[in-house]
Amino acid sequence: MSQLITPVLALLLQAEQPTTRGGVIWQGIQHPDLSKFLVIAALLFIIGVAGVLTRRNIIVIFMSIELILNAANLNFIAFSRYLQDAGYPNAVAGQVFTVFIIVVAAAEAAIGLGIVIALYRNRETIFVDKIDLLKW
Amino acid sequence: MSILLWLIPLLPLAGAAVNGLLGRKFRFSERLIGTIACGTVALAFVCAVAAVVKYANSPTWPTPYVTSQDGWSFTWIAGGATEITEGQKERAQAGNTTSTRNSDGTLTASSTVKVASARGSVLNIEWSYQLDPLSAIFILIVTGVGLCIFVFATGYMHGDAGYYRFFAYMGLFMFSMLVLVLGSNFLLMFVGWEGVGLCSYLLIGYYFDRKEAGDASRKAFITNRIGDFGFALAVFAVIATFGTAQYTDVMRQASAYPIEMLGTFGIMSWIALGLFIGACGKSAQIPLYVWLPDAMAGPTPVSALIHAATMVTAGLYMVTRTNVIFQHSQTMMLIVAVVGALTALFAATIGITQNDIKKVLAYSTVSQLGFMFLACGVGAFVIGIFHVMTHAFFKALMFLGAGSVIHGMHHEQDMRRMGGLKRYMPKTFWTFIAGWLAICGIFPFSGFWSKDEILWRAAGTNYFSGGWMLWLIGTIAATCTAFYMTRLVAMTFWGRERFREVPAGGEADEAHAHGYDEMGLPHDAQLESAGDRPRHEPGEYVGEPHALPHDHHETRGGDVTDTHAAPHGHAIHEPHESPASMWIPLAVLAVLATIGGLVGIGPAFSGDGHPGGKLNIVNWLAPVVWNPVTKGFGTENEAGGAQARPATTENGHVTAPHEASEAAPYGDTGYNLAHTVERSFGSERAAEWFFILLSIVVALVGMGLGYLFYVKNPRLPDAWAARLRPLYRASYHKYWIDELYGLLVTRRTMDAAVGVYTVDAKVIDGAVNGVAALTRRTSNATGLFDRYVVDGIVNGIAYFIRGIMSRVLRAAQTGLTANYALVMVLGLVVAVLIIFYPDIMAAVRGG
Repeated sequence: MSQLITPVLALLLQAEQPTTRGGVIWQGIQHPDLSKFLVIAALLFIIGVAGVLTRRNIIVIFMSIELILNAANLNFIAFSRYLQDAGYPNAVAGQVFTVFIIVVAAAEAAIGLGIVIALYRNRETIFVDKIDLLKW
Repeated sequence: MSILLWLIPLLPLAGAAVNGLLGRKFRFSERLIGTIACGTVALAFVCAVAAVVKYANSPTWPTPYVTSQDGWSFTWIAGGATEITEGQKERAQAGNTTSTRNSDGTLTASSTVKVASARGSVLNIEWSYQLDPLSAIFILIVTGVGLCIFVFATGYMHGDAGYYRFFAYMGLFMFSMLVLVLGSNFLLMFVGWEGVGLCSYLLIGYYFDRKEAGDASRKAFITNRIGDFGFALAVFAVIATFGTAQYTDVMRQASAYPIEMLGTFGIMSWIALGLFIGACGKSAQIPLYVWLPDAMAGPTPVSALIHAATMVTAGLYMVTRTNVIFQHSQTMMLIVAVVGALTALFAATIGITQNDIKKVLAYSTVSQLGFMFLACGVGAFVIGIFHVMTHAFFKALMFLGAGSVIHGMHHEQDMRRMGGLKRYMPKTFWTFIAGWLAICGIFPFSGFWSKDEILWRAAGTNYFSGGWMLWLIGTIAATCTAFYMTRLVAMTFWGRERFREVPAGGEADEAHAHGYDEMGLPHDAQLESAGDRPRHEPGEYVGEPHALPHDHHETRGGDVTDTHAAPHGHAIHEPHESPASMWIPLAVLAVLATIGGLVGIGPAFSGDGHPGGKLNIVNWLAPVVWNPVTKGFGTENEAGGAQARPATTENGHVTAPHEASEAAPYGDTGYNLAHTVERSFGSERAAEWFFILLSIVVALVGMGLGYLFYVKNPRLPDAWAARLRPLYRASYHKYWIDELYGLLVTRRTMDAAVGVYTVDAKVIDGAVNGVAALTRRTSNATGLFDRYVVDGIVNGIAYFIRGIMSRVLRAAQTGLTANYALVMVLGLVVAVLIIFYPDIMAAVRGG
């Protein structure tokens, strides 16, 4: 797939000489810069954490957690690619972990939503500040 | 025979137990209660008769039969190896003294004195019964007269709510009395002694909701305690001296002791003194007689049974039982005789002026008991017991007659409001006449035989000098007796019908329950607490008479109905005859009071000695009495003593040969009235007849005076009362003895109690309170330290934790998940900062 698309993208973006803006992007795609990914992942993480801390709705909190997980995934992928570029062609552990995390996140989402439904049935709310059961 | 003896006390006890424990719970009918009570007593009477007949016909007759011979006994108080050694010295001395006394020739006793071996006795008190001539007489009296009184009581107590209680007490009394007279040792007698005291207390206070009944019962109990104190000491002394309490052993050992003449006061005198104090209490002698007149607050059958026929004669029983000990002490014999004679006269003079029919009879009882003690004191124990028996007959008869009168008069006891009852109560009247003639001592009624012989023996006593004074006192007392008894009969049965003149309710010192009180309301007596009817002062106006149908005077047999259908208010009561259950016992007792004395027919009528063999009570009882001359018991001494006695003493007095006791037991006693008379008549029989005629004459004089005063010329009593005002007042107020005792004893006891209370309140409580106050002060100080320092620390810590820390820490626990997550994130940030601080700083610097 990528073998079909890559030349097209390269042509379109004139990747040989990265003089244009598109060329730079292409160049970046071909030889990604690790720090940029890390920054993006950190931003995602922070957004997720902020979501978790500030939102009342459990569903939204869930979504924020997904963001945090995906930030981690992004880091895994980025490091995996970085290591491959650095001359370790078998460094696929990060990618494998990412798949695991996606699976586990899916399972966790299923369970969590089930809990949310049960919770809603019992207490008719899914706002976390109404569910202060940890306080005696 | 043993089983009979055991049954005699147990039967009434069983009846009492059934009545007392079940009667209330199961609401026994009066008929059932009466049947149980009378039935058990009747069975006991049958057992008593059977036992006595068997005993009389047994070959071992005069020997006391103790049930432990046949194994019918058990060790009641196991003394174990306790050694009673106190008496050893006494016993040793006894041996020495007796031998010296033998040497001076005063006594002709055999020289070998069997001093009890100076062993340390093992004291085991057994519970067994003893049948001997004395206890035989007593069980017959107690069960026989008791049966009559029980039957009477079923009628008299009819309608009383405490019926079961009454008969339970009465049965318990019968048990105690029978244990008293049947017991084979001193402690068993003490058990019965206290038992009858208790029952007397319970029965005097039977109408316990009336104050005077409660007071009287306590008075009786406390007065008896004084006597029992002496009795208990005497029992201790007996055990300490003889090492045993069994009568047979004690009497055998006591026989060997030396005789203590007037002036010496040895162990025998002390024992006798203690016993006599007990007898004074129980038998109402001076100075402890005061309880008996007050005891009339009990129901009349109780007065008849306990305070006339049986219990008050327990003292006589005891003195006779221990006559060996008494006869060892000339002093005590004199004291017994003097106390008896004085009591006889004293009580008789009080009886003259009393107006309450039962009070008169009570003082009469005290007086007659005095006669009995006089008999014992002059050595005629047998005659004393004879008088106990005849007195039981005629005094029970008179008490029951009085009860019948009270019943017929509707609880009127004041003789001033009686009179003319002969017409209304003929049966009561005629039976009462028998008792009257008997107590006055008219030939041939029972009282004559015993009282005459007492006076004669008092005149002829050689136990001490001065018998003629005792005889004189006794004769005066007998005259008084005849006088006040005639007065009683005259005021009650003859003369005007004074009950028609006084329009008021009865004073009713004692009265059994009326069904209803004036307003037609159920009276207390119908309620749980059996009570008396309301009381009124004599002459008090208590409202209009009103008709109120009531039926409580119907007899159980239904043969005699209430003759006064009318008003039971406090208008005039029409007297009525008592029912069959009441007059039949009266008739039985009247027969006994008439002919009962014939069992003791005297030597004057037979020529020589008491005729009739064992059937004569004097011969029957003789084996019980110890003879100080021959130092042996009973009949054998009578014969032996007569032979051994010299015809003339040193003074040349002719000694009468018909009684063993005629030989002076304590040496010559000087002037002797009987002997003087005998010498002037030249014949002993003539002298006896002289005394007999004299006693009949004084009785007739007394009766004639009574007739003159109260029938012939009813104005005379008031005139003479005015003329002899101080004497009259003294007698009427019972010589102020109660007041004197109140002043000397009761008030002083109260003062002592107040003093002790003051000491208790001030000193003991003061000490206790002072210690308490001190403790409180110190505890205040330590309390302050505790409160401010120790508690301050503890509370400070607690406040710090609760008030400050908890507020902070609790604020963190919001319960919101987001907060916890925030903390986690912050922690994470901090952790990252700490761990990566150098790298971060390097990156920042290095840019």
